Amino acid sequence: MIEVKNLSKKYKNQEALKGISFTINEGEFYGLLGPNGAGKSTTISILSTITHADGGTATIGGFDVKKDTTAVKRIIGIVPQEIALYEELTAFENLQFFGSLYQVPRSELTTRIDELLNLFGLFDRKNDRIATYSGGMKRRINIAAALLHRPKIVFLDEPTVGIDPQSRNLIFEVLAKLHKEGLTIVYTTHYMEEAERFCDRIGIIDEGKIIAEGTLQELKSAGKMKESIQVQFTNGDEAQLAALNSFWNDSKQNENSTLFYSENVQADLPKLISKCNALGLDISQIDIQKINLESIFMDLTGKQLRD
Amino acid sequence: MIKIALKDLRIFFKDKRLVLLTFTIPIALISLFAFAFGGMWTNDDDEKITLLISDLDHSEASKKTISLLDSLKGIELIPSKLKEAQAAIRKGNESFVLVINQGFSEAMNSGTKLPLELQYDQANDMEVAILQQSLLPTLSTLPFKLIDSSKMMANPPREMANNPNPMHALPPAAIPNDIKMTPLIIPTQDANIGLIQAVAGTSVLMLLFSVVGFGMGLIDERQEGTLKRLYYAPINPINVLYGKMICVNIISLMQMIVMFVFTSVAFGLDIITPLPGLMVTIVATSFTCSAFGLFLASIAQSRQQVQGLSTLIILVMSALGGSMIPIFIMPALMQKAAVISLNYWSIQSFFDVFWRNLSVTNPTFLLHIGILLLMGLVLNVIAIIFFKKNYTTLA
Repeated sequence: MIEVKNLSKKYKNQEALKGISFTINEGEFYGLLGPNGAGKSTTISILSTITHADGGTATIGGFDVKKDTTAVKRIIGIVPQEIALYEELTAFENLQFFGSLYQVPRSELTTRIDELLNLFGLFDRKNDRIATYSGGMKRRINIAAALLHRPKIVFLDEPTVGIDPQSRNLIFEVLAKLHKEGLTIVYTTHYMEEAERFCDRIGIIDEGKIIAEGTLQELKSAGKMKESIQVQFTNGDEAQLAALNSFWNDSKQNENSTLFYSENVQADLPKLISKCNALGLDISQIDIQKINLESIFMDLTGKQLRD
Repeated sequence: MIKIALKDLRIFFKDKRLVLLTFTIPIALISLFAFAFGGMWTNDDDEKITLLISDLDHSEASKKTISLLDSLKGIELIPSKLKEAQAAIRKGNESFVLVINQGFSEAMNSGTKLPLELQYDQANDMEVAILQQSLLPTLSTLPFKLIDSSKMMANPPREMANNPNPMHALPPAAIPNDIKMTPLIIPTQDANIGLIQAVAGTSVLMLLFSVVGFGMGLIDERQEGTLKRLYYAPINPINVLYGKMICVNIISLMQMIVMFVFTSVAFGLDIITPLPGLMVTIVATSFTCSAFGLFLASIAQSRQQVQGLSTLIILVMSALGGSMIPIFIMPALMQKAAVISLNYWSIQSFFDVFWRNLSVTNPTFLLHIGILLLMGLVLNVIAIIFFKKNYTTLA
């Protein structure tokens, strides 16, 4: 559905994209993950045809994003990061206007608007001005405006930034429903829990490069990362700790705690606790560190995803 | 508090264009008004009143009179054929012609009233008054300057001969303390020149200010992200500008119509008789003012820049073009500079319609409208070029 090859883009002296490549299949929920300034928005801008790449190619549904801009625009929907709505107009008027840009027939458009307003739980507020909406409600209309022409692919650029939990959950429900109906979704975020929850595959982008790509499981197993059990003791001398470390082949002594790496935390945890008891070590705290996108990202780049 | 002030100052000085505008606007306006009003009362060559003169007497006396008037410091005399002079006045290119009618020499010799006539455009009442003040002292003493005094004394009129003070006995007609005044342009309607000046000048000025607001809408759309959303849709980005153009033109048109209808209802300005010409002028003015608003929006990078630029350009254009100060009281140099102002051409067109009673097919009217439309066209083209440069790449 989407094929990106060696896409590069430079702004003045800054290289925003350094030859990224990835493929997104039809009906896939693809997460583009990376910190601010990694190149996510530039990628979406190029794929949405409003910015031209300096190098490389990108096709959507077989159409070249540089040459067949109109054809590409007709099959994609974009949810921008900012709330791009007219505050003075009502929700209905906003949706009617944006729908009309895609030449959706008037009667069909009205039906579609009502359908989307119902889906996002805002039908009762359809005739209220956007200026009177809460941030979360605006975000919902912001998404609805990208779905009016029934696109085959929808790009969502950080669609849940700064919204209330109720709106966030509603958006998640809608996205899950749309995905189930076969819509291809490209989702950029720096909230890894969102990516973990929804994405079939994830591309991790940093400093203009895709540094890892695959399913969550593939990403987990691709690296050398292991889950770990971090234990703090209230007592214990060097001999006791040395005995514990020799029992556990793969461990690391930190200043106030010991890190025990594990292939299977669930199975290893009872063994570790028994051994500590046997050695007379009193445990004050146990933290289980599972592999997630945050830790994968940290492992790959050495920095936090939200940096 | 100090930190906040310093932060705001830093933000202010970072915007070089805003800084420039902040200081250039007052300087430009002070210069403009000082030049305009300061120049009114000085007698530099630049501020001479142009007076066409048409000699129908072709006598020695008339030639001497022309020579005498030509030596006046505040007047630039241009000999002209009467018909050509009248045509120039009707077109609005000149304000008046002094006609030395046949019989001037005889009247001079006989001491009867001199057949002098000032044909003028009543639209320039104040300029006519200033001219009269310049001419009267010279014309009042014409007989004494031109008549051979020895002849007069050898054969004086009876009143002079019997009067102990012969000069007091000179027939009143011999001293032309009044010139026959003939307004060349006679409005068919009961027009009020002041009202026409007020409504024409103010409407253009206000329209310019209001179109700036619409121009700012473009900048708001860019800043708020809705412009980007429009570009996501399958439309050519330039259509966004064209859409704005249509909208601004419609609202400008409505504003102008409302202003003239109000003037008609409230002040009795007849807008029905000259309706075709009025509508053409309103359309042309709306078109050009709208283009100006979009031009500003396309070249500016922020709301502050639009506000600064618009204040500067609108006030200067309006002052130069006659919206704020009647053009004829300005120095000659500024009168020449007025042609760069769209206000000037719009106001001239309104005068063509309401005062000069020119039809829509009249070449003078068409010229004024043509220049106005050309200005609009140029501004629109510049707006398109800058829009493509500044707005079509957003990411």
